[in-house]
Amino acid sequence: MDTTPAGKPCCEEYAGLSRRGLLKGVLGAGAATAFFGTTFTQTAYAATQSADRVLVVLSLRGAADGLSLVVPYGDAAYYTARPRIAIPAASLLAPDGFFGLHPSLAPLVPLWNAGKVAAVHATGLPVANRSHFAAMEALEDADPGSSARVGWINRLIGTDDYENPLQAVGMGFTTPITAMYGPEGTVTTSRVDDMVLAGADRWDPEGRRPLSLNTLWSEAPGAVGRGGRSAIAAVDDFAPVRAISATPANGAAYSDDDLGQALADAARTIKADVGAEVISVDHDGGWDMHANLGTLSWGTMLGAAGALATSLAAFFTDLGPLGDRVTVVTISEFGRRVRENANYGLDHGHGNVMFVLGAGVRGGYRGTWPGLVDSLDADLAVTTDYRSVLAELVTKRLGRSVADVFPGFAPEAVGALL
Amino acid sequence: MGEAAAGLVTRRTLGRVTGTAAATTALSGALLVGLPDEAAAVAERRRKRRKKRRKKHRPSTPTTPTPTTPTSPTSPTTPTPPPDVGPVLDSRGLHLVQRFTGGWTSGLAAEVAAAGGTDQWFAAQLDPAGIPDDFSTASASWWVSILASAQDLWARDRAGTEGVWVANANYERWSMLRRMYSRRQVLETMANFWEHHLHAPGEADGVALFRSDYGRMIRRHALGRFDELLLEATTHPAMGVYLGNAVSTKKAPNENLGRELLELHTVGRAAGYTEDDVKSSARILTGYRVDMWKTWNVYYDTTAHWTGPVTVLGFSDPNASADGRAVTAAYLHYLAHHPSTARTIARKLAVRFVSDDPSADLVDHLAQVYLANDTAVVPVLRALVASAEFAEAAGAKMRTPDEDLVATYRALEVAVHAPTAGDSAANAMLWQSSGIGMRPFGWTRPDGRPDRAEAWTSVSRMLNSFDVHYTMSGGWWPTKDAEYRAPAAWLPAASVRFDDLVEHLSCKLLGRSASAVLQTAAAQATGLTASTVITADHGLVRWNMPRLLTVFLDSPTHFTR
Repeated sequence: MDTTPAGKPCCEEYAGLSRRGLLKGVLGAGAATAFFGTTFTQTAYAATQSADRVLVVLSLRGAADGLSLVVPYGDAAYYTARPRIAIPAASLLAPDGFFGLHPSLAPLVPLWNAGKVAAVHATGLPVANRSHFAAMEALEDADPGSSARVGWINRLIGTDDYENPLQAVGMGFTTPITAMYGPEGTVTTSRVDDMVLAGADRWDPEGRRPLSLNTLWSEAPGAVGRGGRSAIAAVDDFAPVRAISATPANGAAYSDDDLGQALADAARTIKADVGAEVISVDHDGGWDMHANLGTLSWGTMLGAAGALATSLAAFFTDLGPLGDRVTVVTISEFGRRVRENANYGLDHGHGNVMFVLGAGVRGGYRGTWPGLVDSLDADLAVTTDYRSVLAELVTKRLGRSVADVFPGFAPEAVGALL
Repeated sequence: MGEAAAGLVTRRTLGRVTGTAAATTALSGALLVGLPDEAAAVAERRRKRRKKRRKKHRPSTPTTPTPTTPTSPTSPTTPTPPPDVGPVLDSRGLHLVQRFTGGWTSGLAAEVAAAGGTDQWFAAQLDPAGIPDDFSTASASWWVSILASAQDLWARDRAGTEGVWVANANYERWSMLRRMYSRRQVLETMANFWEHHLHAPGEADGVALFRSDYGRMIRRHALGRFDELLLEATTHPAMGVYLGNAVSTKKAPNENLGRELLELHTVGRAAGYTEDDVKSSARILTGYRVDMWKTWNVYYDTTAHWTGPVTVLGFSDPNASADGRAVTAAYLHYLAHHPSTARTIARKLAVRFVSDDPSADLVDHLAQVYLANDTAVVPVLRALVASAEFAEAAGAKMRTPDEDLVATYRALEVAVHAPTAGDSAANAMLWQSSGIGMRPFGWTRPDGRPDRAEAWTSVSRMLNSFDVHYTMSGGWWPTKDAEYRAPAAWLPAASVRFDDLVEHLSCKLLGRSASAVLQTAAAQATGLTASTVITADHGLVRWNMPRLLTVFLDSPTHFTR
């Protein structure tokens, strides 16, 4: 592509943003003036700003079974529909007479008892969509009237004048998620420690490596060009994050898996205060349990729920007082059927549970229970549009308007936040 | 294309070259020279990196600052006729081979020339039986697990000889090696395409036992008919285990495969099937069982097949027999020939080989060709390559992480030998691919890895690619059972101007002339000027060749295909 004459970038907004980002990255390298001057003449944009409030969006890919995580033990149909995999009421944690938590969620109980966890049940897309992929697209685009490929997180960070791509950071995966797609620059990284430029080391005292890369990428067109420029700029923007110790604080112990790694990296990013207002954590934790979801003595739910709770609890332990800035919300593309199948598993359903944890949360069981039906195809009905939960976070925590982030949507009060 | 040789242009360097002798032999000791404090620092960096992540590579040899003065005279030289650097394809030919091979490698030019031109080369590639398959055959024996039965793999796992996840890893390695070095490049490209379309990740429970067999089955059909491929893939134990059909019963049919078959593998959601259709789809497929976690026997169980009338879109059958294999075959044949499936396949091929957003006209055209040829893929590929849209899409596709790695091995002409250890190149390349962002078949969801630039241009991915490019440019890792070209071997002559060297390397590594941007970037990376004269004794060759080679690999050209 560098043999192509430099054409007009397909999106001017991007190009301008990325060039400013590049310049800032170059200047941020300290002794960078040595190789400044030929390509970039625009003014650098402001350094990363502080984020007073942070929203962490944790995506549980594969459709987690909300009825196993937050069990409606007061609904008799739950037990008739799941003769083998239902969780006995006596084993549940934090029971309130109707709902209780899966025993593997024990690490979250201290936060729950402190009123820092809300479980909003029977949430989801307003219309059932049993395709993982179509459901994820719809959920993360969150603008059903529009054909533009712009996700809700991208719209959210587009409501202010702050343009640093670090305003929205994706973690835990190499591929950006739909919610972050769009015209605003964002950063997705699988690991904080990967945010270095190979070859830009002590044997490159004159900064030849970044200089050469800037030249290669400064006019490259399209998404590929934007990616290259963002990457080069992000190395310097992320320097404060890398400077934070990789060892969790306060004795926090994350689960030893991708989720634990991603949340630990999210905590480092928050501690470094590089202006990350939204952090998206992608968790592909084997939630698509068509078979072998199992019981309290075997199966995949035990470990999956345990890892989720362990890492979320560790995240707030690690953050310490900084946790007062941070609210976490979990989303899964849909729930699973009420009735178990022949394989100790559950096929695709509709309604699910969303957890809201941390700052500003009004703890406890929230949402409107629709009642379960034990029939072959019965779903947990959706009584709360998932956007109503997100809308509370967007308005009460981040001070944005519903109209900007979820165009045309009229949210209902959920009461998961103070 | 008109004349047989029209696809070939004999390139000669445009610039001036000093000296006419062939490149000197490698200075094998030069790279090992390092200052003591650097060696210590590198050792510490290696230790840190090892701690950080096992799959990360690490330079084992430091680079040293570039000497500011060249070791050879820079006086103007007489403009002698430039040496021939070998044939390079024209832009159309280059575009075709970039899309239908693992990436440019300088040997391709001779291969195309021997075939008589790009079109003849492509035609021959579409009939792979006529092309020797020595490398794939030989490398299949590099790991016992590639050709082992599920029972053998399970026994090896139980005995602690080799975990099933290793067996799966070995298959992924072999699949990359085939794309690097097989002479049946178009076949390997298409096998890879179908493996992603009918995605069954071997990291899922139990799939590993069948993953190599599944991949080899797909390779057999890769340039054949989709209806035949679909039948074998849908009823294969790898797919059955992955999407739950291997444990599905008539009492409670597991809907997972029945749904994804419709949504992902064939007609797509736009076809308008209902939840009842999904149920019928799942019911039809009941009976294909695997005795999971015990004998791993694959069998058809008439007692598990759901009987009774089934209807899916326009397909219906009384399905009265306890042996549902005939109705399954009829159902899959119906789906493979459905116009919506034709559009699914046509669009996927167009996204893979043309651009991220192919036109509806092209997709419709390819779908018609697909249906007119009874789901045979070769006529569709011919139509795709002949389209104006294809011709205009050179360089428009971003390489996925494994494609980047395959292309990097090919560009650098690394020779890989049978592995003798865990960190042999043939084994380590899997960690290189995942280090960039994804193993070849590491996508965990049944939709297969995304194929749009936005998915593969995250900060992580780009920086990880830069890292692998730089490390391999230095030949630092992996080193075991791999041969890299020595730095001096990249010189086209005993003495050459720097800009001519850049031009030569651009042809060697990227298959095209160096742009002004590339020349500038190369000069910036090394601190050298166009007229600097480079010989084997020059500091560039002795210490800094990695910093020059990586410029080509880090360019947008190498990231795209």
